Amino acid sequence: MDKKLNVKIKPIGLLDIIAFSKMVKKRTQKINAAKTTPIIPSEVNKNALLLHPKTQFMKISEIIPESPKVKTFVLRMSGGGSPAFFRAGQYVSLRLRIGDSVFTRPYSISSSPNDSLKGFYSISIKGTDEGFFSKWALDNWKEGDSIEVSSPEGNFYYEPIRDARFVTGICGGSGVTPFLSMAKAIAEGEEDFNLTLLYGSCKECDILFKNEFERLEKLANGKLKIVYVLSDEKKDNFENGFITSTLIKKYSAKDSPYSVFICGPQAMYNFVSKEISSLNIPQKYVRRELFGEVKRIEMVNGYPVEHLNKFYQLKVNYFGGNTQIIANSNDSILVSLEKSGIIAPSKCRSGECGFCRSKLISGEVFIVPDGDGRRAADKKLGFIHICSSYPISDLEIELPR
Amino acid sequence: MVKSHFYDAIIIGAGNGGLVAAAVAAKQGLRVLLIEQHNLPGGFASSFTRGRFEFEPALHELCDIGPKDDLGNCGKLFKDLGAEIEWYPVPDAYRLIVTNESEKVDVTMPFGEKDFIDKMEEYLPGSRPKTEEFFALCKEVNSALNYLAESKGHPDKKKLMQDYPNFLRTATYSLETVEKAMKIPENIKGILNAYWCYIGISADRINFPLFAAMFIKFMEKGAYVAKNRSHEISTALEDRIRHFGGEILYNTKVEKILVEDGAVKGVLTDSGLEIGCKHIISNASPHLVYSSMIKPSEETPEFAKKSLNARRVAPAAFCIYLGLNKTKEELGLKDYSYFIYPTMDTTKLYNSMKNRDNPLLQATVCLNNVIPDCSPKGTSIMSFTTLFAEDSWEDVKPEDYVKEKNRIALNLINYFEQSTGIKIKDSIEEIEIASPLTFARYTGAFRGSIYGYETDSWDSILPRMMMMESDVLIKGLRFVGGAAFRTLGYSSAYMSGETSALLTVKDIKEGKQNG
Repeated sequence: MDKKLNVKIKPIGLLDIIAFSKMVKKRTQKINAAKTTPIIPSEVNKNALLLHPKTQFMKISEIIPESPKVKTFVLRMSGGGSPAFFRAGQYVSLRLRIGDSVFTRPYSISSSPNDSLKGFYSISIKGTDEGFFSKWALDNWKEGDSIEVSSPEGNFYYEPIRDARFVTGICGGSGVTPFLSMAKAIAEGEEDFNLTLLYGSCKECDILFKNEFERLEKLANGKLKIVYVLSDEKKDNFENGFITSTLIKKYSAKDSPYSVFICGPQAMYNFVSKEISSLNIPQKYVRRELFGEVKRIEMVNGYPVEHLNKFYQLKVNYFGGNTQIIANSNDSILVSLEKSGIIAPSKCRSGECGFCRSKLISGEVFIVPDGDGRRAADKKLGFIHICSSYPISDLEIELPR
Repeated sequence: MVKSHFYDAIIIGAGNGGLVAAAVAAKQGLRVLLIEQHNLPGGFASSFTRGRFEFEPALHELCDIGPKDDLGNCGKLFKDLGAEIEWYPVPDAYRLIVTNESEKVDVTMPFGEKDFIDKMEEYLPGSRPKTEEFFALCKEVNSALNYLAESKGHPDKKKLMQDYPNFLRTATYSLETVEKAMKIPENIKGILNAYWCYIGISADRINFPLFAAMFIKFMEKGAYVAKNRSHEISTALEDRIRHFGGEILYNTKVEKILVEDGAVKGVLTDSGLEIGCKHIISNASPHLVYSSMIKPSEETPEFAKKSLNARRVAPAAFCIYLGLNKTKEELGLKDYSYFIYPTMDTTKLYNSMKNRDNPLLQATVCLNNVIPDCSPKGTSIMSFTTLFAEDSWEDVKPEDYVKEKNRIALNLINYFEQSTGIKIKDSIEEIEIASPLTFARYTGAFRGSIYGYETDSWDSILPRMMMMESDVLIKGLRFVGGAAFRTLGYSSAYMSGETSALLTVKDIKEGKQNG
């Protein structure tokens, strides 16, 4: 002690020791004096669970054909009630069992957040040759089927504190679905921003939800405008060609900043990115939805092609055991596991959300550069997101459960 | 249901306390299973990415790490475990801004006793003697607490009276009572008490030794953060658990603690697994455990049920995380830690935390001022934290949730801009907002509380430490984390993990379920 200090609260001596010694007695008395009333769970915890349920058990209540290749599935909670509220633009991950395999796929919710209060989500699925999950769903799902649905996920939504009030949406193919949800949210007054959507299709007959969009435009008090862009057809009242910087400029806000939201196939994104770069839009005003799974790994920049079409031993450790499977190098580790009937956690399938984070114990993987959403410390300690990691040697991994 | 596993100890929850408990117990040779409901280790001590940014969700600064040549208790703990963490020292203690016209303050306080006292004298001439006295008292209290820890709760009363008389005098009083007794003027008090928000209750209720120990540890050892956010600490601990042969089960929630004749016999998970054990170290708080997890519920002791009604659940956090597309220099963010309060009256501040009307008080940090390259070139990271108490978030419905979060976030950002003159709104490239619901979502914490139980003198660190053994109400069940005996805060949670693990090891060696 530097100098003598005497803090006078009460005279020093026995009383202080007694007060000190009495702390246990005091705490014991204080607790003993309390009631044994059961603690009511907090609404905070309940609402957190309502917003982010682990799994939502839903049923297909209606199937609406949108075009020869596209169907909308209306999902309602199996046990009644409302599915989790969400932000227009978010997706859910659906779980599907085909034979011995279990797969998940992310789909944007195309209904509005308010619709979830009315008890349903809509998702629209397009059957393409590459997307066997989608095709399987289109061919096999029928009304009354049960579906396991994740909580709403993803960060592709309008955020008033961050985004410009004027949003130019760019989409192609089934990339239109998150924008349909946003359009509904604007028309219903749930969201307050101006959306101009540049919607690219090959031909007029490929356009989805055209009547619905027209209805919403009328309701939206000028806050919603859809511009249809046809690449393979010239028609009056349609833009023709690809979605170029000229077109983006033509339909975007003139005197104030605007955000660009992009959702569509990789090829479209690559094209549009180049066009946008000439417009000098700050990075904060450019947002894109995730692509989902890489369809052909050999097309990804930097992939060591000598590893294509190989088979590697994959040892998988999980709680209470381990197993060895053969992994095709063309498949992500996640897909190899799923094909072998091993259930691994997954949501975005794009490398971003990290739900599939697993420990790489030995071996080497190729990680899709655009899909490396790992945390810095995880990179250092050898964790991988198995949905965007491809084996390039025999591997041993440990799953989180 | 299969019963195919048995462990020496099961740790419920991979929060700070649980991670250390699992690592220490595994290092001591126990067969350990750590079960975590989330897919990541850490609880609040994590990180998340948005766009090109990786954000720190919880930690502002870690106490008791210390520089390499003068490690604090927590620093030693990590070193002993072999956890490799790249620590970065926080440059200054804090910048305190008080905006109320009649109390206006804007000071930047350094770490280190001498520097702090000098700076205080510079701002408030004549303050030196009182500030020195305050430091001397805090040091005595901290030494006394160290002595109590060494004596394992059985101190020599004569030694206490001889060496730590002022500790004995102040041990059962609040920060405010002690400062009043010391006749510390209001303006000095305001600056000394800036850290009150790290404890989360007003100065008239904060137990003095708790505040004093924290204050002096910060002053003497400085503060640190991990280079790659808290996730680096948590993964380093996760790595150590595996290294020592411990097992971890993620995405799995312990639903029930199985109890028979007043003793732990296992757990039941949400995946239907029944796993046997005679020892549980719970990072899940007594509130969760005693209100819903004991099976059969009749095995819940009366005293436990009463304790839930007697103790007060501490505040929850509301945080805004910003990725900015300008550098800290371009924005003018010179400081790491900004405490911005509308008034120095902590009672008024605490009362304002009880509703969501107009939250202003904030602890805001710019991480680049500790880790310059924590974000890509040309950018910076900020995070804002305010606190909410009691039932302030109970009535927020899911469909109103985002709008309410955004309203409060704007309120806090605007207040920061007004108080500092620094404009940030136009530079927001990424934003994420966490509310009490978010903290509840990821950790299950009751009401989203980040601080465990409030630390009024009757339920603060001293009585809790002294009752460490009698608080083992079900044989084999010990707690760690902010709700446990060390009270709130990262370093306390880590230390509680070590203590609970060592006590469990002792229990097992002595062949008994409790101490």
